[in-house]
Amino acid sequence: MKKFIKNCILFFLLLLIVGEFVVRFTHAVSDIPRRTIDNTGIQKYFTNQTGYWKGGDHKWKINELGWPGDLPSSFDKLITIIGDSYIENFMNPNECHQGPLLKKRMSDYNFMEAGRSGVSFIEAMEISKHLDTLQPVQTLIYVNDNDFYESITEIKKMRDITQLNLEKDQIIYGEMKSPGLKKVLYNWKLLYYFYNRYPINFSKEKKENEIKEPEFDKTLKFKNEILELFKYIRINYKTSNKTLIFHPKTNDYFIKLAKEHGFKTIVLDSSKDNKSWTFDYDSHWTCYGHEQVANQVTIGLNEYLKGKGQ
Amino acid sequence: MLFNSIEFFIFLPIVFAIYWLIGNNRIKQQNLLIAIASYVFYGWWDWRFLFLILFSSVVDYTIGLKLKSEDKPSKRKALLWVSICVNLGFLGFFKYYNFFVDSLVDSFTFFGSELSISTLNIILPVGISFYTFQTLSYTIDVYNKKLEPTKDFLAFMAFVSFFPQLVAGPIERATNLLPQFHVKREFVYKNAVDGLRQALWGLFKKVVIADNCATYANMIFNNQEDYSGSTLLMGAFFFAFQIYGDFSGYSDIAIGISRLFGFNLKRNFAFPYFSRDIAEFWRRWHISLSTWFRDYLYIPLGGSRGGTKMKVRNTFIIFIVSGFWHGANWTFVVWGALNAIYFLPLLLLNKNRVNTNLVAEGKYLPTIREVFQMATTFFITLIAWIFFRADNVTNAFVYIKDMFTTSLFTTPEILPFTILGLVAFFTFIEWLGRSGEYAIEKVDFMKRPVRWCFYFLLVVLIFSFTGEQQEFIYFQF
Repeated sequence: MKKFIKNCILFFLLLLIVGEFVVRFTHAVSDIPRRTIDNTGIQKYFTNQTGYWKGGDHKWKINELGWPGDLPSSFDKLITIIGDSYIENFMNPNECHQGPLLKKRMSDYNFMEAGRSGVSFIEAMEISKHLDTLQPVQTLIYVNDNDFYESITEIKKMRDITQLNLEKDQIIYGEMKSPGLKKVLYNWKLLYYFYNRYPINFSKEKKENEIKEPEFDKTLKFKNEILELFKYIRINYKTSNKTLIFHPKTNDYFIKLAKEHGFKTIVLDSSKDNKSWTFDYDSHWTCYGHEQVANQVTIGLNEYLKGKGQ
Repeated sequence: MLFNSIEFFIFLPIVFAIYWLIGNNRIKQQNLLIAIASYVFYGWWDWRFLFLILFSSVVDYTIGLKLKSEDKPSKRKALLWVSICVNLGFLGFFKYYNFFVDSLVDSFTFFGSELSISTLNIILPVGISFYTFQTLSYTIDVYNKKLEPTKDFLAFMAFVSFFPQLVAGPIERATNLLPQFHVKREFVYKNAVDGLRQALWGLFKKVVIADNCATYANMIFNNQEDYSGSTLLMGAFFFAFQIYGDFSGYSDIAIGISRLFGFNLKRNFAFPYFSRDIAEFWRRWHISLSTWFRDYLYIPLGGSRGGTKMKVRNTFIIFIVSGFWHGANWTFVVWGALNAIYFLPLLLLNKNRVNTNLVAEGKYLPTIREVFQMATTFFITLIAWIFFRADNVTNAFVYIKDMFTTSLFTTPEILPFTILGLVAFFTFIEWLGRSGEYAIEKVDFMKRPVRWCFYFLLVVLIFSFTGEQQEFIYFQF
C-alpha cells in the first residue's frame, strides 16, 4: 500500500509539471497582465508587459503608460479612447483595436487607448481627467447600460470598481480583489486552466431553487440615482470634449441624459448588419465587429469635428 | 454521481482510504462502508431511488433464504415467481408502462377506435435494468441450487448496490461477485495499478472518444434531413464509436475501480469492432448481458438443442428481448430483430462458432480476408446502430434511404479531422492491445519513464478534449 500511495503521489506531482508545461506550451489559457493602482486611485497595468491570448494566435502588449496597445507616435491632435474590456480587447490582435482602426480612417489624428476590463462610467471619467493633461482634442468613452449602474454605490456596492457614493458625494476608488490569490492563479497556468475549465459554483443549487424576481426596468427604478450621477459629472468633469459611444441597444434614457449634460453622443447600431459583431462564445466584438464600430464612430466623429454634430 | 465528475474524483479517494484503513480483517465493516458509499453514490441522482434498491434487496434476500429452507417444488417455484414478478414488475412499471400505454392507444387508433388511458409522469431510476438483472440472477441461481443463499444481509446489500458497477454494469452474477463479499480482500499492488490503468483507459474512451463523437453524431442525427449521404454515414460512424467508447469506457472504469477495492468483475467488452462475423461480435459486445440472456433465457427455452424452427425462434426471442431491454421504444426492438437476421445465416449454416480465436493472433497486421470480414461486420453493425440511435423507426428508415443515394460518394459536409485522428489513435491502440483484457493492459513491458509518458499523454488528452459533460448512454437502460 505504501508503494502504491508513494507512486500515486509521485505520478500526481509529475503530472502537475507536465500539465504546466503543456498548458504554457499550447497557450491553453490566456496570459493575464498584472495590475496596479497608481497614486491617483486608477487601476491600470504594470508597464511593458506582453503575453499570449488563449490559443497563442496573437500577443497583447501593455504600453509605457500602463494601457493595452501601442502609444501613438505623437500626441498632437490626440483623440483618447476610454472603455472597459471592449477597448482593452485582449481577444483580438492589435490591428483590430479601435485606436489603429480609427487611425486608418482618420489619418490626421492620433489615437490613444486606455481600456481595462471592469471600468465603470465614473471611472472612465476619472481616467479621462488624468488623460486631459495630454490635451486631447476629443475623448471617446465607450459605454453600455451596466457602466452607469455600476458607477453608483447606492445601486450596488462593488469593492473592486471605482464608484460614486451619492450620499457622501464622494468617489470610492476600487480596490484590488484578492491580488495575492490572483498572482498565484495567473502564474500557475495549470491551476488557472482548471479554474477556467471547471468553475466552482457553490451556489448552483441555490440558484436553481431561487424564485426569479420579476423583471423590471432598472432605469425607471434608479432614475433619480442616475440623474444625480450625471449632475455630479457635469460639476466635476469637463464634458464638452467628451463623446460617449453607446453600445447597440443602450437604453435611450442614458443617451438623453448624456446629451442634456453636455456630452456628444454616438449611438452604435448593429441591427442592420446581417453578420454578428460578437464572438459565438462571448459578447465581445470580433475583429469584424470592431471594424463596423470604427466605421460608425468615424462618421459621427467627423461630423462633430467639423462642427456639425449635435 | 458520474464517474467523469469532480464529485466522484473527491468521493473515490475518500472511500478508498477509509476502506483500507478499516483493514481487511474487518470484512463486515468494509461491506458496510461499501453499502453506505454505494447508497450515497446512487442517491446522488435522486434519494428516492434508494427505496427501490433497498426493497429489491430485501425481497431477494428473503426469498433466497426461503428457497433454501423450502423443499416442495411447487412452493419453491412460487417463491421464484414472486422474485421475478417483483423485479420485472418494477422494471415494467418504471421503464415500460408509458410505452405499453402509448402502443395500446396507437393500435386502437389504427383500428379506428378511441382508447383513453393517460400516461404517467414517471422518472426512470438510473441503472434499474442492471441491478434488476443482477438480483434476478441471484434468485434463479439459488432456485437452481447453483448457489448457496447468503445469510449476511449486509454482504447482500453491498453486492446489489456495489457502486462501481451499479448503474451500467457489467451485470454481475451472484456466483461470481457475492462470494467475494464473504472473504478477505487483499490489497495487491499489481492489481491496484492495473485497476487504475484500466480506469484511466476507460475515462479516455468516455471523455475523449465518446463525448467528442457524440457532438457530431447528435448534430447529424438531429438534423438528418440537411445532410448528404456521406455525412449521414459519418453520423452513423460517430455514433458507433460514441456508444462503444461510452459503454465499454464505463465498464473499464467499473472493473478498474473494483480492483482498487480488491474485487474482480467480469469482462464486458473484448474489442467487438475487430469481429469477423456478427456471432463473434455478440461474443465480444456487452458480454455480461449476452451471457445473462444465454443462461437465463436462451438455454431454458431449449437453446439450440431442438430443431431448426426452435433455433430460429429462440434466436429471435433473445435478440428482440435484448433490444427491448435497452429501452421502451420500437427502435430497440427493430435493432434487436435486425441483429437476429444478421445472426441467422451463421446459425443455420452452423458457422456461428467459426471465429472463436483472436483475429490475426500473434501478428501485427490482419490478412486482406480478415480486413474484409471486419469491415463488413462493422458496416452491418453500423447500419443496426442507426435504429438504435434514431428517435423512431420511420426516421431510421429515412436516414438509411437518404444515406444510400449518390451523395454517399461526395465529400461529407462534416469532417472533423481532429476527432477522426483521435478515433484512429484509439483504434490503433486497441488493435495493438487486443490480446489483453483491455487495450493498454500490457504496457508493463515498457520501461517506467516511457509508460508514464504514455499515461501523461492520456491524461493530457482527457483534459484537452473534455467536451460537454455527458451522462453515460447506458444509464438510461
